[in-house]
Amino acid sequence: MSYKDKLKTELFPTIWCPGCGIGLIMTQLAMVMDDLGLDKTNTVIVTGIGCTGRMGAYMQFDSVYTLHGRTLPVAEAIKTVRPELNVIVVSGDGDLTSIGGNHLLHAIRRNPSITVLCNNNEIYGLTGGQTGPTTPVGTKTVSSPEGATFSPVNLQGLVNTNGNAFYAKTTVYHQGQMRRAIKEAIEWPGFAFVDITSQCIENNGRRIGFPSANEMLNYYKKEYRQAPPGSTQLAYHQLGIVKGKPAEAEPVAVGAGSKNGSGEA
Amino acid sequence: MAKRLLQGNEAVLLGAVKAGATYFAGYPISPSSEILMAASVYAAKHPEFRFLQAEDEIASANAIIGASLAGAKSFTATSGPGFSLMQEAIGYAHKLGVPTVFVDVQRVGPATGMPTMPGQGDILQTRYGSSGDYTSIVFYPSSVAECYEYTIQAFNCAEESQSPVVLLSDAFLGHLNEIVDLDTIDVPIVPRTLEPLASGHTRLFSGVATYPDGEPATADADEFIRQYEEAKERRLEVAERYAFYEYGWNKDAETLVIAFGITRRIAQPLAPHFALFRPIRIWPVLQDQLREIAPRYKRLIVIEGSDGQYASVVERVLYRDVHRVPLLGGRMSLEAVREGLDRIGLLPRDLAEATVS
Repeated sequence: MSYKDKLKTELFPTIWCPGCGIGLIMTQLAMVMDDLGLDKTNTVIVTGIGCTGRMGAYMQFDSVYTLHGRTLPVAEAIKTVRPELNVIVVSGDGDLTSIGGNHLLHAIRRNPSITVLCNNNEIYGLTGGQTGPTTPVGTKTVSSPEGATFSPVNLQGLVNTNGNAFYAKTTVYHQGQMRRAIKEAIEWPGFAFVDITSQCIENNGRRIGFPSANEMLNYYKKEYRQAPPGSTQLAYHQLGIVKGKPAEAEPVAVGAGSKNGSGEA
Repeated sequence: MAKRLLQGNEAVLLGAVKAGATYFAGYPISPSSEILMAASVYAAKHPEFRFLQAEDEIASANAIIGASLAGAKSFTATSGPGFSLMQEAIGYAHKLGVPTVFVDVQRVGPATGMPTMPGQGDILQTRYGSSGDYTSIVFYPSSVAECYEYTIQAFNCAEESQSPVVLLSDAFLGHLNEIVDLDTIDVPIVPRTLEPLASGHTRLFSGVATYPDGEPATADADEFIRQYEEAKERRLEVAERYAFYEYGWNKDAETLVIAFGITRRIAQPLAPHFALFRPIRIWPVLQDQLREIAPRYKRLIVIEGSDGQYASVVERVLYRDVHRVPLLGGRMSLEAVREGLDRIGLLPRDLAEATVS
């Protein structure tokens, strides 16, 4: 088997712009799926709205292309009904953390055993480059001509409000590290969130001064550093995986019959 | 024969279980909360039945869609404001063709309104609440036994039509306690019709307009219309087998009263004076039945817990004016019906003289 068997290559080229980072995520995900034996009989993909949401259409799996912001309730319910399945959510930062922010908050709390890959390009790309919840302060966008005003959402802090959860920070430049993060996230018994910094050259990068996607990738290479081994907290622009204590029992909220888990606290 | 005292909301839960439901997600909201609570109690004793008290109604509505795709017959229960929050997901379920059941125990709106008082103001919301065109199927029982029966029918119809079906109730009906014998209600159960996720296919369940291969069809009117007509045809065809209604009382009277849900029960003392048409299938509107029955009567009166929502539908279907008795602000009582009839000069003399019991 090859990772290409996980992809509907007959639909290529994809809809994504030249230079987009999403394909780099899809390729690494497909490779991890190949390594772990994930196939259309044991795995479901759930995607949100935004450029990233198209990924499910390109993969050889049953895939649910949800409403904007609603990947997590759909994914959690699938995992509840079919605990034996691997449920992998792939979506963008706007979908997961802004319009879907309340679901993220509560999915973290309930700790379902699902994997979330967040294509974090710090912008609303599909709609033309408006400020997102992850846009750095001061970034000029088509909806913040004077620069973004508010601090980006603290995803690491949010995920780590649950002591059982898994948070990984990576970028599409750091392919090996991204692959490890995706693999460990899928294997994690509980909620696993992989925060993947990725370039949107067309609707963000060029506007903030990058001539090409290659320059953006080189910027990630220069700016991001691996966190020291054993770090329990990743600093700004540090790459790494922060794991909580693995949950011992099925999360309580997904099955009222269960008596253990963080949901009872 | 096992007679028991049962509440309308609890009957909904029992009907769902009987229909084979194994997944409930919901958010507490009066006057529907007993369904959520009963579901949690049931789940605690039956591990195969999964229960989620979600963070809000948006999550609940999307969760039951995910659960249904995964293979479970699923449902949620809510009321006015929560039902409004679910509208986008209802449109999504229509787009995907997902069988699932939404229960709306109506209260007085808009907004937070009168949370514990009964209303029937969601008639048009159940038809047009989500954006775009879709074909709604909606049932509205009017007794505790019917809450049980039509919950089962709602699940059956959802499976056959592969669409979200709405079961309407209201604060009075949901909280009504009646003696029922559920063993006498025998509705065959329609099995699951949608092959569950991860059955070996590579399907794309997409809210976005797409071609069968998953490529976007977001600017192709022909493809859109083809898919829309196909879904509409299936739903209308299935709904024909669920054309439930009641036609009775004094059929020889000159005036036909149209009432549904709890309003039909409230209007019972009108029986000697009027004929009754009670739609149980609210949507698709019972057009053929109305067009057959209504011409026999000089006058039509729609008594309902909204300011003419169903009356306007009847007028449209019959091309004919109807008299309206709106019961607003939760004043759903025989007294309010009397006042309403008196206002339009159609109150029978002996009803005017009767004392309120």
